[in-house]
Amino acid sequence: MQRLVMKLLVLALTMTLGLSSLQAKPVNVPVVYYKLPNGLKVVISEDHIAPVVTVGVYYNVGFRVEPKGRTGFAHLFEHMMFQGSANVKKFEHAKYVEANGGSTNGHTDFDYTNYYETLPSNRLEMALWLEADRMRSLDISEENLKNQQNVVSEEVRVNVLNQPYQLFEWIELWKNAFTNWNNSHNGYGELDEINAATIEDVRSFFKTYYAPNNAVLTIVGDVDSAEVKKMIEKHFGTLTAQPAPPKADLTEPAQTKEKRVSQPDKLANLPALATGYHIPAQSSPDFPAMALLVQILQGDDSSRWYQRLVKEKELTLDLTGGLNYFGNEFDYTGPMIMTTRTTFKPGHTVDEVLKEMDAVIAEIVAKGITDKELADAKVRYKSNFYSQLESSFGKAHLLSVLALFRDDPNQINSLLTPFENVTAAQVKAAAAKYLVASNRTVIERVPEAKSQSGQ
Amino acid sequence: MKLLLAAILLSISTLPIVAQQKTPPPPGPARPLNLPKFTEKKLANGLTVILAPLPNVPKVSAILTFTSATNGTDRTNHPGIAQIAAGLVNEGTDTRTSKQIKEELRSIGGTLGLGSDPDQTTMTATALSEFSSRLFELMSDVTQHASFPETELKLAQENTIQQIRAGRANPGFLVNERFQKAVFGDHPYGFVVPDEKSISTLTRDDLKSFVTKYYIPNAAHLIVVGDIEPDKTLAEIEKAFGSWKSGTVPADENPPLPVRDKRQIYFVNRPGSVQSAIYIGNVSIPRSHADYFAIRTADTIYGSSFYSRLTRNIRESKGYTYSPFSSSNTQAKTGSFLAGAFVRNEVTGPTLLEILYELDRMRVLPVSDEELNAAKEYSTGNFSVELASQLGLAGRINTIYTYHLNKSFIDDFRPKIEALTAADIQKAAAKYFDTYHAAIVIVGDWEKVKDQVTPFGDVTMYDAQGNVVK
Repeated sequence: MQRLVMKLLVLALTMTLGLSSLQAKPVNVPVVYYKLPNGLKVVISEDHIAPVVTVGVYYNVGFRVEPKGRTGFAHLFEHMMFQGSANVKKFEHAKYVEANGGSTNGHTDFDYTNYYETLPSNRLEMALWLEADRMRSLDISEENLKNQQNVVSEEVRVNVLNQPYQLFEWIELWKNAFTNWNNSHNGYGELDEINAATIEDVRSFFKTYYAPNNAVLTIVGDVDSAEVKKMIEKHFGTLTAQPAPPKADLTEPAQTKEKRVSQPDKLANLPALATGYHIPAQSSPDFPAMALLVQILQGDDSSRWYQRLVKEKELTLDLTGGLNYFGNEFDYTGPMIMTTRTTFKPGHTVDEVLKEMDAVIAEIVAKGITDKELADAKVRYKSNFYSQLESSFGKAHLLSVLALFRDDPNQINSLLTPFENVTAAQVKAAAAKYLVASNRTVIERVPEAKSQSGQ
Repeated sequence: MKLLLAAILLSISTLPIVAQQKTPPPPGPARPLNLPKFTEKKLANGLTVILAPLPNVPKVSAILTFTSATNGTDRTNHPGIAQIAAGLVNEGTDTRTSKQIKEELRSIGGTLGLGSDPDQTTMTATALSEFSSRLFELMSDVTQHASFPETELKLAQENTIQQIRAGRANPGFLVNERFQKAVFGDHPYGFVVPDEKSISTLTRDDLKSFVTKYYIPNAAHLIVVGDIEPDKTLAEIEKAFGSWKSGTVPADENPPLPVRDKRQIYFVNRPGSVQSAIYIGNVSIPRSHADYFAIRTADTIYGSSFYSRLTRNIRESKGYTYSPFSSSNTQAKTGSFLAGAFVRNEVTGPTLLEILYELDRMRVLPVSDEELNAAKEYSTGNFSVELASQLGLAGRINTIYTYHLNKSFIDDFRPKIEALTAADIQKAAAKYFDTYHAAIVIVGDWEKVKDQVTPFGDVTMYDAQGNVVK
């Protein structure tokens, strides 16, 4: 009885606070946005909380558009961007950034490749010089290409080939869920194709995609916008535009029946399962409801799938996944699947796990979600969003992809609105429309029989 | 004007008019550091409360640390009890079920997780700042009133056993486990995961008495960072934690470390591996030791920065590996230094050779001024970045309290780093990068790499379960 009263009290508290939280101070990220005559998009956002700055350069090219026969090439190319340019020797990009108190890295994703430095804000111009130098004059040599083919091969071994499960919830799921090669191929790359890349491949990829008119330059931190503009003009103003890259076909035919795959796993000790459901495009009116539905199904330990599979039925050890395997709702453009990965306990079957996942969906389709669930999902969504805005890098990332894919980084200040307007009926409808067996791919990993010496 | 220039540029697009600047631009004038300040208060029950405003987003981040609940605590009777307790206290209290705890967190945009290590159990929690009082209330409930429901205990026992079994398929897990045991032996720092029997025999009473005895305010500190008003926040903390009862702080256990009289290879056989996972290292020093800043900087130059010697050698020059690294892990009572790489089978021997060579080079020759200055800039610059995030700052403050460092650590950091000389670095390397007494741990396919490994020392062989095999 005491517990019931407590629960009602908590509920009442949530409702009132939930209301006040909707009226809380809106996000206000200052944004300066313009384009250089050569087409380079520039975003500047001042933030004086600490004496640091992040410089991000985002190119409109990801591994979906890499050439056939060259899986893993976009990522190999990302490595080549640290191999020197006209005035910066091999790997000295890292030297300059670190000797100036910063850190640097790059990342290749479905639809973009980024390069970034976070460093003390009085070193900003050095970072701009470095980025401009490699955008203008990448130095490409046979020796450095061979070296990075070796390095990337080891990266694939350490993260894929020598691991149990071998990232099947990405690589294998995408191979099977998609039919268009651009979407379905292994973006990390097959070793023989990574090692088949030539100097000419590198040159032509650079010329086609690494041009100012195919990039965004973002600066976030303890800087003065007017001074930054002058530095950008000086270092990037004389870069020349290139013809726009060919537009790749990313269209994906609608899936009409369920795909099921079972794969042996030489290195794993326990069976595992991954599912992928095609989700609506970001421009679809169903998208915000889908994003909250993902939250409600698998967003945290209170979520319906986690509670059902891990806690109530005790079928699985874990449950991970989300709407975009690598990132968030905003940093991709092509077709996407919601992924879910779970390691299940020996003695259980894929069908048992799927049956429970389906039962959860069926409940949402039949009865919808509660008002509290919806309000909570929105609070959770907002809180996660703020976490992305906490660091200068997090802010630079969002601003960059909004400029790259939507030509409008100012949307950062209204990004939450469509999600806050979602209704329970829309979530229910999204479940009924998209979470159907014919729209999904299921992959099972079966440990190969071996001596189980684990007591 | 701009448009005109652009037109010219486009018309002769293959010939840049202005050559790119050949040398890097000099730094601008230094910006104010804005080093964060924190204030410390003690509640009547002995709880130390540390507050640091950092209103970068409307959120609050908290770390509550129990310094008497370590991986070594009670390890004779119940090995691993601190880890299991940490995983279970948020799965039910006297007034909340596990699900209610997770739902409360969801409705305040919060997270709450615990973990234990050789020096502490930490509860890390975040929420939207408007819900800070509810977050503290929940943290307090979990701290004081964990109920360890039988169903949750049983599930946790079963899942922990399975997770460890799954982990034994992972070379990263195996190489770390064998390294900690090789370096720290039976010392509590050598404890990684409990065996299956210790997990399955734990009872609800064991766990209840563990947290009652060791989750005590007079051996705890609570750090709160974020969008806070210190007076209001302190009142909320007082309300949530004021009634938490103090206890007796247990005596500090400090058994001796194993003595290593020679270099030794520990090989975990994992047939089918396409890479060798390599860790090489030894015991070092506690965080409070005077050599801390020197070993930290030696580590930066050797292998923990991207432009480090090890990365330049075995990645950028030789292409043996993707992510070579080194790590100086200094803790309350002692620490370890280690260098490592995951490499394809064929270059296992050559990689051992280069890791050892680079370690010896740090001991025998002074680092260059250029390397030393770069390492200083790297450390101080990245320190500012770390302190600009709520959990970064909270984590840093936590090290000050758990490792008994000077309260002025944050202010002292830059001057201490800047005072280091090349001789300081060489002295630290000579002491702590000792290749002649190093533990060399390798996880890989013995049949494929044995001829490359045996020249480096005597080999003890293990299976994936941790048993010595012939």
